[in-house]
Amino acid sequence: MSRLGDIPISKELIAGARAGDEGAQAAIYGLLAPAVFALIRRLVGNRAVAEDLFQDSMMAFFQRFGDFRGEAPLGAWLRQIAVTRCLMYLRSPWHRARLHWEFGDDDVWVGSTMLPITPATSADAVDVERALASLTPVGRAVVWLFEVEGYSHQEIARLFGRSVSFSKSQLARALSRLRQGLAPQEDQEACTPI
Amino acid sequence: MHTDLEKIIARRLRAAADEPAESPYGWAEFQSRRQRSRLTRVIERNRPAAIAAAVLAAVVVTAVPFLRSSHEAGSSLEVRSRHEHAQTYVPPFVPPDTAVHPRMSDRQEQTRTRAIEGWLAGLPHNRVIMRVGTHAAVSSLQDQIAALDDLMSTERASNAQPGRIEALEQQREQLVSSLAQLQYAEMLASATP
Repeated sequence: MSRLGDIPISKELIAGARAGDEGAQAAIYGLLAPAVFALIRRLVGNRAVAEDLFQDSMMAFFQRFGDFRGEAPLGAWLRQIAVTRCLMYLRSPWHRARLHWEFGDDDVWVGSTMLPITPATSADAVDVERALASLTPVGRAVVWLFEVEGYSHQEIARLFGRSVSFSKSQLARALSRLRQGLAPQEDQEACTPI
Repeated sequence: MHTDLEKIIARRLRAAADEPAESPYGWAEFQSRRQRSRLTRVIERNRPAAIAAAVLAAVVVTAVPFLRSSHEAGSSLEVRSRHEHAQTYVPPFVPPDTAVHPRMSDRQEQTRTRAIEGWLAGLPHNRVIMRVGTHAAVSSLQDQIAALDDLMSTERASNAQPGRIEALEQQREQLVSSLAQLQYAEMLASATP
């Protein structure tokens, strides 16, 4: 299981980490780091940037560990920290200028090389990764947050500092593009008798 | 509302999310980067003080040689100006003697200060200032002289003791002297190709 909110962390580990036990902190890092890095990599694409954001997120996570009240799973709490940092990066003027990317304007992602963002083991996963890589960073972030991480349009809109219709239109465009990217297999799947 | 196709896409995305992932580096490396990051933040926090110290050092290093050799450089530049006048800006005249003379009488001191002030007043107002640090130092000296002038006016109006006025005048003379030296050093620097 690689989704952050679903990763079980024992109460003993959390208590140990909160008390400053480095062994417990290392164990939590070992459990959560792969999933959080995969999430960040999917949201921002570039590996070097993803590593910086990962380090920043994990540092903030351990720094604020004392504030964790246990109302939500620990992974979901870390996910919120990481997603916020990723979206701050995606919204930064520097990033936007660098990629000549404009919100809600066009969903053609010219900067993408159509290469998978994260390594995939199965052929189907490779196709999905390629299709995801063809999306704009914003489109990819919106579709991933909505479809996989379970965020609502309201939450996504708030994270981006935009309207709900922005989230909906980005999702619609991203899904449309994913349909094109995954179309051959979808056709096969639809025509194959069960 | 999701269409069937979108549901399939969503399912495939979630399946991709369940693919095994790897951490970019282990706990030891994370801790090491954390330490480096803390160090960087300490440096970043102290950067303004470091920059201020560097600027001050640069001003001192630049100004001291000019101040020491102001007379020699001034005369040599006067000679050179005859040959290179068309190419470089050369100060039209050198300031009066700005060196400290302990045996100078009060009257002589006042005369010299007036001469320096006349020289400063004759400087062109629109000349190019080469160094930010020098400009800041000049402004600071000018402000201090203006503040002293205000103070002396107040003291005179309130019939302060003569010793007090003299002390303020001496202080003012030193500041005017320093200002002239700095202005001249700046002129020499701007005249150097």
